[in-house]
Amino acid sequence: MNIFKELYAYREMIFSLVHRDLKGRYKGSVLGFAWTFLNPLLQLAVYTMVFSIILRNNIKDFYLFLFVALVPWIFFNTCITGGAGCIRAQGDMIKKIYFPREVIPVSFVTSQFVNMCLSLLVVFAALLLAGYPLRLSALIWMPVVMVIEYFVALGMTFLVSGVTVYWRDVEYFMGIIGMAWQFATPVMYGLEQVPERLVPFFRLNPMTPVIVAYRDILYYGRAPQMETLLSAVIFGVVIVAVGYMVFRHLKKHFAEEL
Amino acid sequence: MKPENTIEVKNITKSFKVYLDKGRTLKELALFSKRRRFENRRVLDDVSFEVQKGEAIALIGHNGCGKSTTLKLLTKIMYPDTGTIEMRGRVSSLIELGAGFHPDMSGRENIYINASIFGLTKKEIDARLDDIIDFSELWDFIDNPVRTYSSGMYMRLAFAVAINVNADILLIDEILAVGDANFQAKCYERMQELKASGVTIVLVTHDMNTVKTFCSKAVWINKGKVVTQGKSADVVDTYLSYMNEQRIALINEERRRHAEKEQKTEEPKAVIEKKEYKSLTMDPTAKHYGNQKAVIRKCELLNCEGKPVEAIASDEVFYLRFEYELNEPLDELVFGMGIFNADGLWICGTNTQLAGVTVDTRGRSSGTLIFESTPLWLLGGRFTLQCSIIEADSTPCDYYNEYMKFTVVGKWRESGIIHYETKWYEQ
Repeated sequence: MNIFKELYAYREMIFSLVHRDLKGRYKGSVLGFAWTFLNPLLQLAVYTMVFSIILRNNIKDFYLFLFVALVPWIFFNTCITGGAGCIRAQGDMIKKIYFPREVIPVSFVTSQFVNMCLSLLVVFAALLLAGYPLRLSALIWMPVVMVIEYFVALGMTFLVSGVTVYWRDVEYFMGIIGMAWQFATPVMYGLEQVPERLVPFFRLNPMTPVIVAYRDILYYGRAPQMETLLSAVIFGVVIVAVGYMVFRHLKKHFAEEL
Repeated sequence: MKPENTIEVKNITKSFKVYLDKGRTLKELALFSKRRRFENRRVLDDVSFEVQKGEAIALIGHNGCGKSTTLKLLTKIMYPDTGTIEMRGRVSSLIELGAGFHPDMSGRENIYINASIFGLTKKEIDARLDDIIDFSELWDFIDNPVRTYSSGMYMRLAFAVAINVNADILLIDEILAVGDANFQAKCYERMQELKASGVTIVLVTHDMNTVKTFCSKAVWINKGKVVTQGKSADVVDTYLSYMNEQRIALINEERRRHAEKEQKTEEPKAVIEKKEYKSLTMDPTAKHYGNQKAVIRKCELLNCEGKPVEAIASDEVFYLRFEYELNEPLDELVFGMGIFNADGLWICGTNTQLAGVTVDTRGRSSGTLIFESTPLWLLGGRFTLQCSIIEADSTPCDYYNEYMKFTVVGKWRESGIIHYETKWYEQ
């Protein structure tokens, strides 16, 4: 319970680290903050080109089918790959000043989360332009799914960032893990395309229900199934709990290991 | 925890694993498993102290003694292996200044970032913003990016933030060397104010003057153990005299090693010198000059125990031991010595003639002479020893303007060249 109190006391630090990251990220570039939108926009353009001209398949508007899942996936992927090094990157601060160590993963994930939210604006715009109706009955579930994904990502970031301090290889390993994980999650294909006997394995993947829910809401314009949401919530809670527990144990020696 | 205390440190120990050869890659793990030996270096061993509210305490000791580790444990950057640390109130540490500064952001934005790392909320920072800017004296630059700041400006801003965090306990690590003299004075004043307002201060510093004047208590840590603690003036005195002894011992040890090395390599040189001494040089700029009728074989500086040394304590007697040889029979020799400071100022000088001593050398070809001196009462530093043998009519036989350099270690905090006993009274 103490950690909530402490994180609350340091809320300004989280806020300013997020602010610093978002504002500092594109500092010095000509287009500046516009890159936050340009990046997903250009990605969308590439996917549209590739999948409507070269790699055609029979899913309607495949670029949108992919994009609504890809934006949340990129958020998660950045958290587990980039987030692995977030404690190390702030080594100087950790060695020299006290603050609750949880602040760093929390602000890293939050900053990526805000970035995803901004990218989602591009997604919305693309959906509207392509003539997809954004139904309120579906969109109402959007915040729920986003919060769940936030916590899944946070739990994973706690875990990998803590372990990376002691074992740096994890940071590099996560690059491959992230790629493999993407193919094991229905991002580039739908869950219905997965062979029947493999579906149970997909159910063990905490990101499956999250991605499925995003696609339900944005692409199909329908409320996600309760079953999907429930399993996402359970995964979220378990991962955050485990991740935090490991992190709490590891953080005591951060200053010495860095 | 006693009610009057704000900090209680009880029997803390802390060890670090020091790898003799830290192999971390798989290859190294597999091939050299034996190499992964490490020793547990104990940095703190059973350290305990208490600090009362509004008290300023100093942790002193030489580099690597564990005082900074203690401070890190107090800030909760690290945790002790055993023992407990209890603290009451908000802790702010001035260990790392400017944590989280982003070079591309303005001074104002960085104030928010930096202060937030100290755990301040936006409201609290808003309330302190003007104070911080005033204290940093950066009014005209506060909206410029920090990367355009000079290092002095940078530190001023960082210090201004750190000292304006209203903490109950302030931990400070050797940062009084911030900015120019005026700014230092201001920081010092602010620390006095904070102390007076009941803030507990733990200070790590090498500036013994600050310790004596600012702190009421001091803890001397050596090799991870508390040597002594108590009234700051007493602890500082004990510490300084210990450090002086250490320094003298170290310098002398260095010299002994150096001399050993030279002995090994200088054998052939002695032959050359023997040839040389027959030549009569009267050039005063040579290392030594004179008619060489009598020569100084060796002149040694001896400490109060009679051991040859390179450094002496300023408050102890010392000796010079002249070994001389006569190349031609002479009835009488005059031995002289002089001491010059690093600026070339002649501090003192005397000879046997001036002292009314006659050194009778009739029928001798060599001898040894001892010169005894009272303590020098110099404030300390590097000095040059001049030594000479002259004939009774002042013709130089063997005259060294710079025979050797030696160190005088004084323990006084005074300015000038010499120390003398003083007292101050209030009338």
